[in-house]
Amino acid sequence: MSKKGESSQLLREFPDFTDTMHSLVAMERIPAGVVEECREAVAMARRFNRTVARSYALELDRRMQEDPTFLPWELVEEANRWGFFTMWIPKLFGGKGWSLSSISPFVEELASECLAITNLIGVHYFGYSILVATWNIRLIDMISREVVEGEREGRPCLVSGAVTEPEAGTDAEEVELLARARVRCHARRVEGGYVVNGRKIFISNGHLSTWHILIAYEDLERPDETMIAFAVKNGMPGFSFGRMEKKMGQKGCPASELVFEDCFIPDENLLVAASQLTGMKRGARELGMQLIDFVVSATRPGVGAMGAGVARGAFELALRFARETEVAGKPLINHEWAQCLLAEMYKNAALARLSYMEANYSNSMYGMAKLLSFKPLYYYNRLIPTSMFDRWMPAANSRQATTAVFRKLVMDGQSDAEARRASGWASLAKVAGTDLGVRNCQLALELMGQAGLRHDRRAEKCLRDAKLLQIYEGTNQLNRLNVFKCLVAPAAPEARAFED
Amino acid sequence: MWPSFPTTKGVMAVLELSEELRLLDGMARDFALNELVEGREERDHYPFAPPSEDLLAKAREVGFFTIFLPEKMGGAAEPVQALCLVLEEVCREDASLGGAIFTVALAQELLRQAGSEKALMRAFAEAASLREAVPAFPSFHNPGDMAPLLVAERGGRGYRLTGSVEYVVLGNVAGKALLPAASAAGGWSLFTVDLEGEGVRVSEPVLSLGLHACPAVDLRLEGVPGTLVGEEGKGQLYFEAAADRLSAASAACSCGVMKGSFDAALEYARQRMQGGREIVNWSEVRMILSSMAVRAKAAEMLVRRAAAAVDGGDPGWELASRAAALLVQEMAVEVTCDGIQILGGNGYMQDYGQEKRFRDAQQLQALLGMVPMRRLRYIRRVVDGESPWS
Ligand SMILES: Cc1cc2nc3c(=O)[nH]c(=O)nc-3n(C[C@H](O)[C@H](O)[C@H](O)COP(=O)(O)OP(=O)(O)OC[C@H]3O[C@@H](n4cnc5c(N)ncnc54)[C@H](O)[C@@H]3O)c2cc1C
Repeated sequence: MSKKGESSQLLREFPDFTDTMHSLVAMERIPAGVVEECREAVAMARRFNRTVARSYALELDRRMQEDPTFLPWELVEEANRWGFFTMWIPKLFGGKGWSLSSISPFVEELASECLAITNLIGVHYFGYSILVATWNIRLIDMISREVVEGEREGRPCLVSGAVTEPEAGTDAEEVELLARARVRCHARRVEGGYVVNGRKIFISNGHLSTWHILIAYEDLERPDETMIAFAVKNGMPGFSFGRMEKKMGQKGCPASELVFEDCFIPDENLLVAASQLTGMKRGARELGMQLIDFVVSATRPGVGAMGAGVARGAFELALRFARETEVAGKPLINHEWAQCLLAEMYKNAALARLSYMEANYSNSMYGMAKLLSFKPLYYYNRLIPTSMFDRWMPAANSRQATTAVFRKLVMDGQSDAEARRASGWASLAKVAGTDLGVRNCQLALELMGQAGLRHDRRAEKCLRDAKLLQIYEGTNQLNRLNVFKCLVAPAAPEARAFED
Repeated sequence: MWPSFPTTKGVMAVLELSEELRLLDGMARDFALNELVEGREERDHYPFAPPSEDLLAKAREVGFFTIFLPEKMGGAAEPVQALCLVLEEVCREDASLGGAIFTVALAQELLRQAGSEKALMRAFAEAASLREAVPAFPSFHNPGDMAPLLVAERGGRGYRLTGSVEYVVLGNVAGKALLPAASAAGGWSLFTVDLEGEGVRVSEPVLSLGLHACPAVDLRLEGVPGTLVGEEGKGQLYFEAAADRLSAASAACSCGVMKGSFDAALEYARQRMQGGREIVNWSEVRMILSSMAVRAKAAEMLVRRAAAAVDGGDPGWELASRAAALLVQEMAVEVTCDGIQILGGNGYMQDYGQEKRFRDAQQLQALLGMVPMRRLRYIRRVVDGESPWS
């Protein structure tokens, strides 16, 4: 074997170089313009924190403690005015078309001030990413343009993502589990559409959103093979809002129950049905998993970034406290142990950031938007104004053929190894970032003693807010199992995940 | 014993309770189940809901506020063990009441350390109303770590106190507060202050992370008359001595919360189905439950052993009590975090009680002052020659 051949053979051995060195590999692939976009996104988030979030975060949290049914419309309107709900909608669909890599640094920055406000803004992109992951170009285009229109007219149009059911949380995140799950959200085929019955719970922004991207199942006995996605709009007969949860934290972002009672959803609102996707290289079950992976590979690093953000927020509060407080006769900041503790917290935030950045690289090179990091396409998208796209895109987007081409390109264009890399690293970053986030909040409270426990000092809110990060977007247990399945199991082909 | 299994005499001797303690434990358990489970979520809505003064009155009726008085005033024969049992049982269901009971006991102990038996009698044993029977005290501080303190100035026949003090527990329930203040003699001293007197400004209830129904307020004092308790300048001495005895009791609160969290997690895991089986049958879930159970059991043993050491005056009881507090509180923070995790999204919701336990455990960790300073104090005593071994 040639030396070169031998080297590439060695590099493919576990752990595969390509599975582990995303930032290195990305250096030559990712367009330089992304860096500038990240700078701008972070600066914008800082500006927003200073003008809006800093003064409103505590007031909103207190208000929600008093009245858990309060809906923070003012905040939604404010975020809408800032243009946050269209920043990451591609120009193809009328949005501002920021690169996906810039969303996580933006999220970290927002999260360093308030996780509830961050989730209220960020989770719109969770709903939106499920929409995009279906690659139903006509509906993506239509809903995107409503969001853009809503921004222009000062009528926020948000998108929620409805996956979780009362009896299926973890199970809804993984097809292996889904096969044995007790899902109840059923879509029955009828003339001209579907009739949906069932309930979705814990849906972030439910009550505040206009569109809801709903995951249901055509056959409750075989949910893993019959996943089906719809775009549901407020006001559709048979669709209503149920209770709003009383949460420990992230109170400013409601978690809602969505109720479907003989809700007729016309064919034109069908996003995708796994069972109907023919001519693809994967079968219905694998396509279901690919849909889940497309979404979570993009959104889990975002939750990791929220962990990095709250880790930083807690660190910053602890730092301020150490500078302002005298303990045992000298400023806390001059106690050696306090310096080490603060260094530890700084390190935790930095590690959380490194993980989500790595996962972002992985997702932009191998995930559902990998086409966009192809340099010519990136610069084309960046430099051409939205108005130019608007001239010819809507007509093309409404064609069935466009959807078919995109699906072929994106779904079939992703190899199993790429899917593994993107999904595995997304889980890794999610677990790492959120555990470090919670850890830093606890360290801040330890350091601050009584002061840290008071609502008016902010640190206790960080902890209440942060705990949720270990639960949503798949519990950290499910995400560890996904790290095993995607990144570890290749070294142990005999291993079976989710069988225990 | 928890979890309940038949005990073998001898092996478990160290944990065996006297008849009196066993009766008290049963009574506390009944009280907790009958009075604390129902309405817990509503009480926790404080300060946006009415205060739970009825509950405090009931706790007083059954004697929870007098257990820690000297025996001749009606206190228990083995006061630290008795207090620990009550706190553990109470906090298993609702730690807010535990916070109140602990604060009252701490104030009593400070008075006792200061040799103010008369004040003790007047204040507690003979108190006519709840207002008189519970004193307020900033039980989440070690006054020695705090700066600035209230300042006490001598004037005429007594002292006048000026300044502010944060997070005075029961400050809007009690008629009197026991407050630390710096005075010309150096160090700090303890004073009792009439909270209804002139010059006292009581804030709105402070909204805090946990123990919502154990109310606390900030106080601003402007030349308020204060009665010196014990000797001037000896506050730190009294406080450290009280902390030696009561650290075990603070650990008991955390231990109770841990047990409550584990019990709820186990029950949920037995019923919740995911992936086609009860989640208790996923081995990763068992791992989490196991680490919760082991830590809660270790905490139970630690607290009981430490409390017995304090009551028995065993060699090294002071450090035993403090070590128990530091470790048990830390474990409680971890256990209650897992306690939410086992319930997934439901664990994060107020309806299931686990999020409250998580908040309460974190709050309890700050009893008697900030953790790092308590750790440093512990090791300072060892470095200075106190033996950590019994
Ligand atoms: C505030 C909030 C907002 C949310 N927002 C949204 C949203 O916008 N849209 C949406 O669709 N969902 C949302 N969710 C739902 C969230 O994704 C789920 O809560 C999460 O997936 C966990 O599901 P569960 O709550 O049903 O817990 P369960 O799945 O019941 O898990 C309970 C416990 O069992 C463990 N477990 C379960 N199965 C296994 C297994 N196979 N192996 C090992 N351990 C296992 C879990 O790790 C956990 O510890 C939200 C949840 C919350 C709390």
